[in-house]
Amino acid sequence: MTYSLTITHLYPDHLNLYGDTGNLIVLRRRCQWLGIDCTVKALTMGDRPTPGETDLYFMGGGQDNDQVAVVDDFHGRKYDTIKADTEAGAVFLGVCGGYQLMGNTFLMGNGEETRGLGIINVDTRAPGSEVKQRCIGNLIAEILPALYQQMLSLYTQPKAIPHTLVGFENHSGQTYLGAGVEPLAKTLVGFGNNASADYEGARYKNVFGSYMHGSLLPKNPHFADLLLGLALRYRSGDSTLTLPSLADREELAAHQYVVEQYHA
Amino acid sequence: MSSLLLIPIVAFAKLLTLVLQRSGRGSGTALPGYIVGQYFPFVLGALVRQIPTVIAITGTNGKTTTQTMLSAILTQVEGGKILRNRAGANLSQGILSELLKQCNGWGRLDFTHAILEVEEATLPRIAALLRPRVIAVTNLYRDQLDAYGEIDRTEKLIREGIAQCPQAQVVVNGDDPRTVRLTQGLPNPTYFVSLAEEYAGRLPYEGTLHRREPDSPGLEATDIHINQDLTTDFAIQGRMAGQTIAIPQARTASPGFFHVYNALTAIAIALLLGVDSRTAVQGLQTFQPAFGRGEMLTRQVGNKQVYYRLLLVKNPASFSLSLELLRSIPALKLLLAINDNTADGKDVSWLWDSELERLNQAQIDWVICTGRRAQDMRVRLKYALDQPTTQPILTVESIRAAIEQSFERAQTGETVFVMPTYTAMLEFRKLMGKTLDAV
Repeated sequence: MTYSLTITHLYPDHLNLYGDTGNLIVLRRRCQWLGIDCTVKALTMGDRPTPGETDLYFMGGGQDNDQVAVVDDFHGRKYDTIKADTEAGAVFLGVCGGYQLMGNTFLMGNGEETRGLGIINVDTRAPGSEVKQRCIGNLIAEILPALYQQMLSLYTQPKAIPHTLVGFENHSGQTYLGAGVEPLAKTLVGFGNNASADYEGARYKNVFGSYMHGSLLPKNPHFADLLLGLALRYRSGDSTLTLPSLADREELAAHQYVVEQYHA
Repeated sequence: MSSLLLIPIVAFAKLLTLVLQRSGRGSGTALPGYIVGQYFPFVLGALVRQIPTVIAITGTNGKTTTQTMLSAILTQVEGGKILRNRAGANLSQGILSELLKQCNGWGRLDFTHAILEVEEATLPRIAALLRPRVIAVTNLYRDQLDAYGEIDRTEKLIREGIAQCPQAQVVVNGDDPRTVRLTQGLPNPTYFVSLAEEYAGRLPYEGTLHRREPDSPGLEATDIHINQDLTTDFAIQGRMAGQTIAIPQARTASPGFFHVYNALTAIAIALLLGVDSRTAVQGLQTFQPAFGRGEMLTRQVGNKQVYYRLLLVKNPASFSLSLELLRSIPALKLLLAINDNTADGKDVSWLWDSELERLNQAQIDWVICTGRRAQDMRVRLKYALDQPTTQPILTVESIRAAIEQSFERAQTGETVFVMPTYTAMLEFRKLMGKTLDAV
């Protein structure tokens, strides 16, 4: 049978910094290669989401004024539906600025902490004495065992997938995870969430946040498949559903290249 | 007073340049300017003030090309002696180094014009010292992630720079929403250069394309035609300083719409400086693309000759525009050279903002990916192309090896299109036997 998925890109015209669109290019193509019928919808200022329509939400980062405008619109028109969807198991991915934005509070360029979207229980604060400058550079992190096992379980045939996530971080805000939220990976190179603990990313149910761009999904096809697999399970209600394996030769070579640069 | 003080400082700078060159520690470009600028900040002003006409060119893309075009035009003018900084040496130390290098032992400069490309964030720091007669802003695109952070800040910095020079005439891109508003509320006379809407609509500007008011002064290019040899023909009309301008045909040797803006900017500046339009168009024809901006290099081994056309890619905008151009090339042979050094941008995310999908309309013969991020480039292509290329994409990190491979694959007389990032371009040119200096 043919599966179908609806992906909703949140505020694509306001939150589109630094290659975040690469994540959507990857989701779209992998759906095509996996034989999944995929529809990508844009949901922007003034729009109201349709309850239960979306299987996978994606949100990138933007400039300060755009991010602030988004918060008001989100709470006015979108929060109830999207919060209900994600509580029911819909997938949500926020990257970098989008990751900070989806928490309880996030940090503006002028150091001011502002109310976030409240989709996940994380807080982003101004850097204290632990970091002297922005966290900028390649970021390599080892996926935590439980998440790694879940990634493996999504494939019909056993597939060799990297134990790491690789990307590029560029942020000054320090993100701290609250109750019920797990990190994605242990930081090997770079900072990740904050400078005081070596962890990167956040997960609550199927809501994911990450500081990695580069873009995130092209060099981490196992993470892309995790999002697609979870979205399909949510849509079909079949928690044992699995995905065929794509070869991913080029993606894994690019992943490996970054890892080898640091002997991580 | 300060002119006497100049003498020992100039002597020191010249000696330092000599020592640096002799010891093989680079071409001595920035260091003398850096040291002198640190300890004797008055020197920049004291030197540049001797040159009657100063032109400052800033913006994201096209600074070097516009500078080279304007230089080609002003060189045609009787008695014109042009000083320009080296391509990319556009921070204050690079500009000061060039002035120190060009002046005589008494600190005197014998030039009629200085055409300076100025890095965007540097403009407000030196604008008051340069006192430019004309400031040109080519465009304002989002640059790589870790260069300056946010484009809004860059826009503000350029505006601050212009505000320090109320006497300067300003030439801006009239289609770019960010450059169009730069002089709003400032007293500076402003001229807009733009392309006819049918062309401008295809370009990747951020936000809504700005159409300048029909009666606002400036130049517009119409009837743009890109020829088979990648020269570009266009007509120009508009109004500059009260005069109606109508040029039925102009030609530039650099390929693509982007360079039409650069040519219009160079012509607009020349007209403001009193050059007549015929001389301006003739001068433009003598311009040769250089330093990776449409430049053509040749590799010959025995009887076999292969041409390499360099199209520098700096950011999503320049990458997407060059790809647009390649759609018309039959049996395209493409060499993509992507590095992630500081000058290239350490974060390669921008490859995903670049519209590689435009290659789906191109007729690709083969592609080679090279440079430190060759692997990332290949992944980007894999996701961009609707159909895999007939010949597998070769991926080889070493640029030297990529040149060898491309030479092997090409037939004699064929042209390989090279799209390098900045440091990959430097390395490529060096391997092809070109030195670092642009002029």
